[in-house]
Amino acid sequence: MTQKQRKQIGSLAFYIGNTVIALIFVSPLIWMIAASLKPEAEIFKGLNSISTFVPKAASLANYQEVFSRINMWKFIFNSLFYVMVIIVLDLFVNSLCGYALAKFEFKGKNALLTLVISLMVFPAEAIMLPMYREMADLGWINTWASLIVPFIAKCFSIYMFRQFFLDIPNDLLEAAKIDGCGPVKTFFRVVAPISGTVYATILILDFVAHWNDFMWPLLVVTGEEKRTVQLAIQTFFGSKPINYGPIMASLTVSAIPMLLMFVFLQKYYVEGIASTGIKG
Amino acid sequence: MQVSVDKKSERKAAYLFIIPAVVLLAAFLLYPALQTVRYAFTDYNIMRPDRIKFCGFNNFIELFQDKDFWIAVKNTLHFTILVVPFQTVLALALALLISSRRKGVSIFRAAYFSPQVTSMVVVAILWTVLYNSNPNSGLLNALLVNLGMEPCGFLNDPKSAMNSIVFMSAWQGAGYQMMIFLAGLQGIPKDQYEAASIDGAGKIKSFLYVTLPGLKNVISYVIMITVIQAMKLFTQPYVMTKGGPQNATRTLVYYVYEQGFQKRNFGYACAVAAVFFVIVISLSVGMKKIIKA
Amino acid sequence: MKKRVVAAVLTAMLAGSLCVGCGQVKERVNEDGESVITVWSPTDEPAIEEWWTEKIDAFNQAHKGRIHLQREAIVRADSYAYEDKINAAITSNDLPDILFVDGPTVSVYAANEITLPLDDLFTEAEWDDFLDSSKQQNTYDGKIYAVGATESSVALFYNADMLEEAGIRIPQSKEEAWTWTEFYEAAKKLTKDGVVGTNIIMDKGEGLPYVLEQFWISNGTDLVSEDGSQADGYINSPEGVEAAEFLNSLIQGGYANIDPIQKEFHNERAATMLGGSWEVATLENDYPDLNWGITYFPVAENGILSSPTGDWAASVTKNTQDMEAAKEVLRFLFSEENVTTYAKAISKPPTRKSSYDVLTEYNEYPRSMIKEQLMETGHPRPRTPSYSVLSAEFSEAMLNIFTGVDAKEALDAAAAATDKDYNKYYAQE
Repeated sequence: MTQKQRKQIGSLAFYIGNTVIALIFVSPLIWMIAASLKPEAEIFKGLNSISTFVPKAASLANYQEVFSRINMWKFIFNSLFYVMVIIVLDLFVNSLCGYALAKFEFKGKNALLTLVISLMVFPAEAIMLPMYREMADLGWINTWASLIVPFIAKCFSIYMFRQFFLDIPNDLLEAAKIDGCGPVKTFFRVVAPISGTVYATILILDFVAHWNDFMWPLLVVTGEEKRTVQLAIQTFFGSKPINYGPIMASLTVSAIPMLLMFVFLQKYYVEGIASTGIKG
Repeated sequence: MQVSVDKKSERKAAYLFIIPAVVLLAAFLLYPALQTVRYAFTDYNIMRPDRIKFCGFNNFIELFQDKDFWIAVKNTLHFTILVVPFQTVLALALALLISSRRKGVSIFRAAYFSPQVTSMVVVAILWTVLYNSNPNSGLLNALLVNLGMEPCGFLNDPKSAMNSIVFMSAWQGAGYQMMIFLAGLQGIPKDQYEAASIDGAGKIKSFLYVTLPGLKNVISYVIMITVIQAMKLFTQPYVMTKGGPQNATRTLVYYVYEQGFQKRNFGYACAVAAVFFVIVISLSVGMKKIIKA
Repeated sequence: MKKRVVAAVLTAMLAGSLCVGCGQVKERVNEDGESVITVWSPTDEPAIEEWWTEKIDAFNQAHKGRIHLQREAIVRADSYAYEDKINAAITSNDLPDILFVDGPTVSVYAANEITLPLDDLFTEAEWDDFLDSSKQQNTYDGKIYAVGATESSVALFYNADMLEEAGIRIPQSKEEAWTWTEFYEAAKKLTKDGVVGTNIIMDKGEGLPYVLEQFWISNGTDLVSEDGSQADGYINSPEGVEAAEFLNSLIQGGYANIDPIQKEFHNERAATMLGGSWEVATLENDYPDLNWGITYFPVAENGILSSPTGDWAASVTKNTQDMEAAKEVLRFLFSEENVTTYAKAISKPPTRKSSYDVLTEYNEYPRSMIKEQLMETGHPRPRTPSYSVLSAEFSEAMLNIFTGVDAKEALDAAAAATDKDYNKYYAQE
């Protein structure tokens, strides 16, 4: 077998293997899209056969219903707005803190690290009510602040930034210092630019987490003005009987920004390989 | 001289860097968490905030005699012990599978990540069909029967319910850790692989001697957060099993929600949360030591 | 520069965190001096949303200068999410003036003094126009705490072709309703070729007590005592255990699924279904090719004819600042005309007897059956302040029984947990 043939077989195995596994992972998403194109009576027909993944006569009626029944664009915009504000502030605030925990020596460092890890474990279900009361005391109910401010500082992000910044070689920081950069400048000019992948990863994970959040927005937001996408989708679960067509259509619509974000940030995962050259 | 100026400016910078996060964490995480601990010592019924009475350690005394609580502890550990290695290895395997720079690899990446963006509504509908205990309705059971095996109850059999949730959760959650591993893999300098390959190392050797050490910090992070997320398991039992059958999938956080919100014993639920807090912290502190060693 | 930005951010945050505790009390009066009455009700389908817009406009026109009505549509999801929102509002005294709640939770809110009595809302003559099932559901401790516009029922839906093929008798009057034995034999006979004999609501939630309580009532008992103070000796009485064992025999025989797949009956994967009255409209609209019919809820041997009832209803909360205005709103929303138009828009049976004179579709099969059950065999769910616990415990017990736990043992546990809750919070009152 020549080198070339071996390479081709490897390639073939790579694509076949990945395709099979990918289908297992992506099938619910495909089912959701297929269901969104079907008339109501077809959605749950033949659920246990492969035909359930194929809409017989595709139609956009469910999408029309979604967009005519509710102001979907507004709710998408609402969600995009508050999620993006959280993320921008989250990346800024938490990367600073994570960097300090990774590269600086200061009093209380270990205590802070322990606190960060400890607070990660507190389940949202347990602090939801005290947090709601706090929002009410602040007069923040029904404001953007209640959706955004409590979620800027995030232990998961701080800890993840720290772990990644630990891997940045100290030589690089020393070199910056010799060039006359103070700690702040070093961080913004040297560290942040080569950490695109970490920022992109936290951005994706954060985006998905907040985009799908339901319980907290339900508690603090009343009425349509600041209604989020997830809350809007739930309006289709109103009184019985529940029609699943519009639900599947609205779920599909709400998945699109997440997938777009994901595809858009892919370049950081390819560029990362090239840019880390400076590390060695 | 130079050194001490450096140290001083570094310390100043350090406090500047941590203050925003610390203030926010204190106000919106630590403060409500402490409130929760405070309520653990009261008889708070969620509908009677006007009648909260301090009741000492009563909730904790009741808790330690509460059979359901101990079952929840057991279930949570059961889930964590199984799902963490399974999901971490799966995530790492997926990340390795698609870390190459072949054409179209980003499509696979998106596919593996897609359960994260798929709503639990859809997931629940489809897994009900997969896991249905009736072989006439359920896909997996139809398969088992065709293979000449006994049908399995899956979510409706207390023996298999938690394992069914483990499997489903790993499938749904692996994309999350995969992304973190991918980011970690990008950080390993390419020349290290080149050096290894010049030394004649094969794929397995370069994985063992380059990839794994290069991912050390990332792996410890992933294990840590997977443990914590696993300990906080809530959504799957809430949507799929409501903690049943026969208590088999009642986890600690589910128990907190059930007691606090559905059954309105908020004070008691806070006590469960406080104990949960202690359990997970001791676990993560212990783990930090093990990972370091 | 960067430093200054950081400093500014910090100052803002500190200022923000100092503000803790300086929330303000909202007066529920607007600039025009009108009493503002806020309604919380679940978001609903377009016909109902339109109904609200139209009625609110009409009300505000008529009450200019005195009362301003506004509605906030709350996402309901499963009803637990809506309840969580109410629970949060309770902690901060932010409840709306008028709150829509699900029927069986009326007693829970009433017992906790969240909602206020409404007996003088209507004259006795006017109250007489409301269905007994609805009034009973909304009564706690002898007082009426809520008023609803619509009702619901559960009947036995059947696939006419399958029943005909199997040669199974279809009851034509309520005296001929299937007995449990007949129900069991039919389900057994109809189970074949991937079709299950029947479909029972198995949502692991509120659907279970809603539908299955009737088996207890029909067998001569109930889930709790008449005054709602005790579950032990009712839910786990010999008759109750018998009911649970009967239901379990359907599951164990494979004649009904524990986890039914979605729309099992509609897609001809189940031959019969204990389905809600709302399914009539679904079947008519989305499944025109299905040959189906409905008949009476099955009855225990020599048992009592019984069928589920209950729907959402409106209450006035303790946070209202103008009780008279709130009542004025309720009198308007639940007038003869508005109950009729609401019920028509949502295609659910109305709570006012006079509405049936207008909504003539209820004189014809299949809706006449729903009406007949509501007026003659309807039983509301238990009225107990411990309903939330009872409901969760009952669902759990049934699931445990279906997966192999002894019926008596599971129901004993449910009784104990429910009574514990009652004794802890409500017994001394």
